[in-house]
Amino acid sequence: MLRYRFLFEQLVRRELRARYKGSALGLLWYLVNPLLLMAVYGLIFGVFIRSAPTSEHDYLLFLFVGLIVWLFFSQALLAAASALTEQVALVSRVRFPRVAIPTSVVTVQMITFCALLLLVLPVTAAVRGILGTPLLLLVPLVVCLYAFVLGVCLMASITHAYFRDVQPILSALLLPWFFLTPIYFVPEKAPGVAGSAVARTFLEWVNPIAPFIRALRAVVYGGVFPTAGELAYVAIAAVVALTAGQLLFRRLEGELAVIL
Amino acid sequence: MSGPASPPVVPGEVVLEHASRTFSPYGDRTRTLKEFAFGRRREAGLPPVRALDDVSLHVRPGDTVGIVGRNGAGKSSTLRVLAGIVPLQEGRVACGGRVVSLLELGAGFGREFTGRENVYLTGALHGLSRAQIDERLEAIIAFSELREFIDMPIRTYSSGMLVRLGFAITAQLDADVLLIDEVLAVGDEAFQRKCMRRISERIAAGTTLLIVSHSPLAIERICGRVLVLESGRVIFDGPTPQGLLEYHRLLGEGEPVIERVQPTGTRPGLVEALEIRDGSGRRRQLFHSGDPIRVLMRLRDRIPEGAPALVLAIRDRFGRPVFATQTRPQPSQGGAWMVFEIPRLALLGGDYDLVVGGYPEIDRLTGFSVAEEPDAEGVVDLRGRWSVQELIEVAS
Repeated sequence: MLRYRFLFEQLVRRELRARYKGSALGLLWYLVNPLLLMAVYGLIFGVFIRSAPTSEHDYLLFLFVGLIVWLFFSQALLAAASALTEQVALVSRVRFPRVAIPTSVVTVQMITFCALLLLVLPVTAAVRGILGTPLLLLVPLVVCLYAFVLGVCLMASITHAYFRDVQPILSALLLPWFFLTPIYFVPEKAPGVAGSAVARTFLEWVNPIAPFIRALRAVVYGGVFPTAGELAYVAIAAVVALTAGQLLFRRLEGELAVIL
Repeated sequence: MSGPASPPVVPGEVVLEHASRTFSPYGDRTRTLKEFAFGRRREAGLPPVRALDDVSLHVRPGDTVGIVGRNGAGKSSTLRVLAGIVPLQEGRVACGGRVVSLLELGAGFGREFTGRENVYLTGALHGLSRAQIDERLEAIIAFSELREFIDMPIRTYSSGMLVRLGFAITAQLDADVLLIDEVLAVGDEAFQRKCMRRISERIAAGTTLLIVSHSPLAIERICGRVLVLESGRVIFDGPTPQGLLEYHRLLGEGEPVIERVQPTGTRPGLVEALEIRDGSGRRRQLFHSGDPIRVLMRLRDRIPEGAPALVLAIRDRFGRPVFATQTRPQPSQGGAWMVFEIPRLALLGGDYDLVVGGYPEIDRLTGFSVAEEPDAEGVVDLRGRWSVQELIEVAS
């Protein structure tokens, strides 16, 4: 794999360049796009819907921290799902580790995520005073998030190559999934949910991205340690997703040139 | 992409041991979950195609091997297996050293990348490090003759420039095994000669060459050894002259392979059978320029009012259209044989595909070959007379 590090770097660069090609803002679109989305969501949940079920003082920051995690997850998933089928020429003619293709796509989204995180961090640091030992967990949490998203994306990209419904299904699922994810609300304070253990379990634990959002928000927004349960979940989910993703990808990649 | 344990090989050595590979005749493409979950796909029922059927091959370093055979005999599949792109189902494959295939000129180019950036990307795809590409960069730019354009995004390149860049990179990869599918039709003639010179240099330097070609002339010029494939099996493996004789015998005698093409729509095909016959009514696959040809197509029994036009097209070996014509079958012609007569085949040596179908679908496909003529090259037979004459002044 080391031999192909340079290839991976080149593919990431190509991916970065191919999006928003020739546009005036160029690479800045990688930030403008999510920032715009965040502004709209901020307007909807922070202003229009005033009864947002939290008692957060800095609701917009609360929202944004969750939102950038979600944007990374959802954008990476959509882009990775179609990544292999978009590279038919490459896959059917050149021999190289196919895993480099979805990985480079996810990594590009990861770069965006990190850039957004670096924009939000100074603000939360100034407004919320989060500088403390919990912040030491930031890097391990981000690494776990990357591993988790990469694992899920590997599964999505390889299964989409075989069954072309995967990407449409994902894009149909992502919007309802967003509304069921504790990004703009806190389950324990949401009316109708707070009392139901089943609903809370579902929102907090069954949805695999939720613990990642809550853990990162604890560190970046709350300035506190995530719960032990969240930390364990995040670490295990990262290992399981990445292992499963790699196994599935390796099992199915041999026939890629025939299938595509 | 690790198969069963590969036999040990030295750089430049190529080994296939009892290699077998089948493909579904319709490809495995565009499966949807629905088809997967709710039973068979609608075209199920045709047996899989054996593209490689127990093929064994041993190529020593520095050998030059031409692979010939009729359309669908497994030539390209063999190359793709050797290139490590398609895995085997049975048997073993091993290629020693760096394997480079000319199937891939420009595959993976980033359109927004400059020529120079694409050199690095393509080098990386072949497992080269930045330093190794740095070493070769100057030679690549010089070979491509694109120095003024090398820092422009390649979306501004013409297709000829892209292929030049692609070949220039491939040529500098120092392959131990070089795989070529069809002789290059790259850029202008001067550049083609340069490519052939470069390939010859590599051969002289000890590179092993495996080339698939429909052109006996090219094989004769380059290869010392010929492999004739038929239905996925090696039916001849030996010196070039005998191999080409065997190939011609195969083309002249064999029953033409008529392929039923994957229907692209749900309607039944318009043409149910296709044959090519010569002037005396015999089924053949090899013709000479100027021969008469009769193409016979049996229409399906029921032809509705407003049926699509029946299109007959001839394509060259690169899939480029050479000729197409159409007619509109009437309902009264259901079940009849349509005949298209070509009194004089105005094509020059090479392999061609003949496709027929109700527009825009292709129902049947077959290949035919035209023997090389000693005094002309190209696609269209426009051979005329050379003479010396007094210039006739034309009043202006």
